[in-house]
Amino acid sequence: MISISHLRKTFGDLVAVDDLSLTIDQGEILGVLGPNGAGKTTAIRMVCGLLQKDSGEIQWEIPGNLSDIIGFCPQENLFWPRLTCFEQLVFLGKMHKMSAEKAEARADELLNLLGLSGKTAVYAAKLSGGMQRRLNIALALIHDPPVLILDEPEAGLDPQSRILIRDLIRSLAVKKTVIITTHNMDEAERLADRVAIIDHGKLLVVGSVDSLKQRLGKGDCLECRFETDLESTLMDMETPSARFMEAIRKTMGLSTEAISVVQDKVLIRSFQHLEKLSEITDLAQNNGLNIRDIQLRKTTLEDVFIQLTGRALRE
Amino acid sequence: MIWSIFIKSISEQIRNFWILILTVSMAPFFVFVYFLINEASQPHYRALIVNLDQGFERKEGLINVGSSVLPNFQSYLASQENIPLSIHSAATREIAAKKIETRKADVLLVIPANFSQSILAEIPSAPEIEIVGNISSTGYLISAVWLSELLNDFMAQQTGQERLFTIKETALGLSGQVDEFELWMPGMLILSIIMLMFSATIAIIVEVDQGTILRLKLSGMEAWQFLIGVGFSQVLVGLIAIFLTLAAATSLGFELRGSILSFLLITVLTSISMVAFSLILAAVTRSVTDVLVVGNFPLFLFMFFSGAAFPLSPKAWFYLGDYGVSWQSLMSPAPAISALQKISIMGVGLDDIQGELLALTLMTAIYFAIGLWGFQRRHLSTK
Repeated sequence: MISISHLRKTFGDLVAVDDLSLTIDQGEILGVLGPNGAGKTTAIRMVCGLLQKDSGEIQWEIPGNLSDIIGFCPQENLFWPRLTCFEQLVFLGKMHKMSAEKAEARADELLNLLGLSGKTAVYAAKLSGGMQRRLNIALALIHDPPVLILDEPEAGLDPQSRILIRDLIRSLAVKKTVIITTHNMDEAERLADRVAIIDHGKLLVVGSVDSLKQRLGKGDCLECRFETDLESTLMDMETPSARFMEAIRKTMGLSTEAISVVQDKVLIRSFQHLEKLSEITDLAQNNGLNIRDIQLRKTTLEDVFIQLTGRALRE
Repeated sequence: MIWSIFIKSISEQIRNFWILILTVSMAPFFVFVYFLINEASQPHYRALIVNLDQGFERKEGLINVGSSVLPNFQSYLASQENIPLSIHSAATREIAAKKIETRKADVLLVIPANFSQSILAEIPSAPEIEIVGNISSTGYLISAVWLSELLNDFMAQQTGQERLFTIKETALGLSGQVDEFELWMPGMLILSIIMLMFSATIAIIVEVDQGTILRLKLSGMEAWQFLIGVGFSQVLVGLIAIFLTLAAATSLGFELRGSILSFLLITVLTSISMVAFSLILAAVTRSVTDVLVVGNFPLFLFMFFSGAAFPLSPKAWFYLGDYGVSWQSLMSPAPAISALQKISIMGVGLDDIQGELLALTLMTAIYFAIGLWGFQRRHLSTK
């Protein structure tokens, strides 16, 4: 188990990580989500020992040096372009104090596991983007670490490679603890046992994907798209959009959190969409609003993410 | 671990062969250039004589001693080998002066009108002989010394007097056997190691540039292990460079004199020193492009001010043995060049270059300490 408590890191006036506390269980896949500049990478770098923390504690229940415990796969493909796939895996294995025989055997095993067995003697620079990404993951696994940290592991991969990596991560999680930082909600939703959402250096929420979805309200999501932008006129209570929103709330008996407006879209979370559908369309017409299309879908992790972190663009 | 880093670094060097070729071929190329320059610019000095002597009337007729000066000088020069001086007559002082101004001659000797009279009169007097030239020119200085010597001999013959002294010239060490090309070679040999600055810095900074330093940091590898592994590979490249330079120089007539062991010791120490300096360069850069831009500054400093390409004799601050430590010694190739010159020109042994070796070792240690501190702070810091 990894126990992080009250972790803090500042760069001048900027608080990159602020009082972050989190526990990660053995054999768990934890997805760490957050917008750009949220503090994910800073937190991960502190966990990996690449960055000194200002305060807080990181406790490992696994014995050994950090270099033996952690396998880190960065977002960028970091390899030696003029070494072959096999050479660089063996070289890095030796840097991890593995014997030549053990490093060579492990390199062969990983090249097979990641579908690179045909590229053993090929320089890394000559591999396709997807293969380089897989080599990047193989390099993180060379010393068979009990904790694997993957930064955007599916970025730049084709669908076939994504499936291969996902299956690999799932199989690794039987024995290893896996931490994945990602922007890809679908990736996190498919892979992670638990998800932690970080923003402005703070942990906003942590839990299973289902429990996080339930925080937004129970039921499915009805997405109505209008011909006009409702969000920009919502503040004035006398506008058609404000009157429409108020009427929906009263008719369906929903809380304020269950309805959100994003530009020309209105998202309604409820169990009784189908029964109330005709009422919703009538209310729109009565207020002079024309619906372009209506979609009924499950609540996604992205809905949770946007709800928690907002829609404003980050630097 | 160090051996693995060494093997990896050598493999990368060979596969990235353009930088390797540039590093090992630059100094041999300079050797050929210096050879051609040396061949094309063998020094030759030109003197003119204007004879204004009006002669001296004797019973047997008018005797003009001044007219025999030029044939006497020319006869002497013809009897000697390797004196790069030619002497011709000029009709007037003005014509001769014009030739000096236009660099067609280096010096003018004006024999005065009373030259014969001064020598042949019953009571002889010293004639006033004028030597004209651009006194800031090296050509003038050398030609004037030669003319003065020839004139002294001539006057001794004419007056029947013995010279007050004779000079015996003794070449110290092997200096009499070396020509100008060979004098330059110690500097050229060290230049081949100075070129190592680029390949060594690139071999280090490439890990930062391509981000693989992160993998090495995560592996638990220590900075010194990495630097020693890369350093060994670069010392090997340095030795290849110096032996290629030596081969080029030898093919053009250079003969390595002195102990080969001393030669090896100096070149290996200088290679280590350049690797240590590369660490400083790696500490102030972040990419291969940075190295190729920023690295030119120390390269030119080392080339032009350490004595590799131009001779400089700065004032010594203090002495380490026989070696005068000056600002030039802050560049480690300077004591290395001095040591190689002593070995290859003076034929001395290790005992006579202890000061140079000490200065070289000290500067290497200082470079390494600064470089390691800077590299760790800039590229391996966790702050």
